[in-house]
Amino acid sequence: MEDVIIVRSLMKSYGTKKAVNNLSFSVKKGEIFGIIGPNGAGKTTTIEIMEGLRKKDSGEVSILGMNPEKERKVLNHRIGVQFQATSIQKKMKVKEALKLFAAIYNKSNTGDEMLKLLGLEEKMDTYFDDLSGGQKQRLTLALATLHEPEIIFLDEPSMGLDPHARREMWNIIRSLRDRGTTIVVTTHYMEEAEKLCDRVAMIYNGELRALDEPSRLVEDISSHFISFRSPDFPVGQLHQIAGVIDVEHDKELDAFKIYTEDLQSCSYFLFKTAHEENYHISDYKFERGTLDDLFVHYLKGGESA
Amino acid sequence: MTALWQLTLLETKMFFRDKLQVFWTFLFPVLMIWLFGSMFENQAPEGFSFASLYIPSWIGVNIVTTAFFTLGTVLTGYRETGVLRRYQSTPLAPWKILFAHTIQGTVIFSFSAVVLVVFGTLMFDLHAPVYLGSTLVALLLSILAFFPFALFLTSLAKNVGTAAAISSLFLNLMLFLSGATFPLEMMPDVLQYIAKILPLYYVIELLRATWNTSPIWENWTPVLVLSCIALVSIVLSSVFFKWSGKAE
Repeated sequence: MEDVIIVRSLMKSYGTKKAVNNLSFSVKKGEIFGIIGPNGAGKTTTIEIMEGLRKKDSGEVSILGMNPEKERKVLNHRIGVQFQATSIQKKMKVKEALKLFAAIYNKSNTGDEMLKLLGLEEKMDTYFDDLSGGQKQRLTLALATLHEPEIIFLDEPSMGLDPHARREMWNIIRSLRDRGTTIVVTTHYMEEAEKLCDRVAMIYNGELRALDEPSRLVEDISSHFISFRSPDFPVGQLHQIAGVIDVEHDKELDAFKIYTEDLQSCSYFLFKTAHEENYHISDYKFERGTLDDLFVHYLKGGESA
Repeated sequence: MTALWQLTLLETKMFFRDKLQVFWTFLFPVLMIWLFGSMFENQAPEGFSFASLYIPSWIGVNIVTTAFFTLGTVLTGYRETGVLRRYQSTPLAPWKILFAHTIQGTVIFSFSAVVLVVFGTLMFDLHAPVYLGSTLVALLLSILAFFPFALFLTSLAKNVGTAAAISSLFLNLMLFLSGATFPLEMMPDVLQYIAKILPLYYVIELLRATWNTSPIWENWTPVLVLSCIALVSIVLSSVFFKWSGKAE
């Protein structure tokens, strides 16, 4: 598959703060590409540089073979954009917004098929301000897709949605992909990244921490951990076990999570120590990490580095 | 319909959906003229009627109201909520957006002027402008001076609240100090001098003159002042107008 987006060594600072620091990735045609990270990680800056709305300091960005900073006008016909914040006039009716955007793109229809998919047909006479959060997101998504763009940029599309509305939003995004559209989506919900995205770039402090398919990221050995409960196991001792990357301790529940490179030898050491010192261990499990766990792990890795 | 006209039409419709805007633009001036009329109707100087002085001046005030509130404050709100930025990722040319808002502002102002003239004619025997052509040119010049002036000033505000505060300050200052609402002669000397640094003073002078006594080419002082304001504020607003409230 060809790369429709190429980002190389992208840098962007605001004052002394590096918002994007040496970021490189590429997006293939027809995939859902997630940019994930906590709030303030540089996701929005990155996506806005790709949209041509922000100037980069240095690096290379190519969208459909074009430079978004210099060729935004041409590019705007071929990309669709959904902002994080509400960006429609409060007193504009749904049908008016659709008509306006159809006129902007010189389209005679307002994408009726899409409206059906988005369930907006009954809300045509409602003011934007009176729509629910989910309906607002669906309208701005409809506006971003009405000209059948080749790439759609979605900045936190499921922010503020309830779990049901979020799942509906995923289905809509998937059906867009199935038509051949490339989708770039930012999110700080790890569940969204795991269930929706074909590939994810994990960023923190503007730096790329991981880039792969979600299932392969969680296969990563460092995301596997041991969990158990013990009222008397000293935390300090756990850190000293060879291969241990991180230990999480919940004092109230006496619960431990141990991230380690070698689950087996770590377990052996745990039980050996417990036996010798007469510590009590219960609820012992080998666990497969989720993207969430991996994310926390990468963040910690970044801070200690 | 092209996007430009669609946007103009929509923005005009949306203005009328905002009851407060409708009140301040259409009803408030009428109420004020009615109030001041009942106080000062018989105090007009020799050869003038109350209406022939104060209807033109309130038409001038409405240029300021439209410029600061219908255009300036609304666009600041659009900047704050990302409406303007959203357009930037569409093929809609930036000049078309500003042009649409300028037409919308002009249309709404014209409506309000008609309302005032009709009200003045019915209630206070207002006569038609003596130099109609001159009056229309004077209105156009005033719009050219005030619309970009307001766009510039409100684009300095970070949010709607600040923009509305700036707008209210300017409107009230000019409303009471430029002779629009009651005779300047009633005020202390100092305030009469201050009046002359307010742009609205010249709008009112020009509108009253062309409505009653002389054509526009005999009033070169206000014409010159307003032309300068127009020129400077067009330059300033095009330099300072921002499409996004966020840092680049």
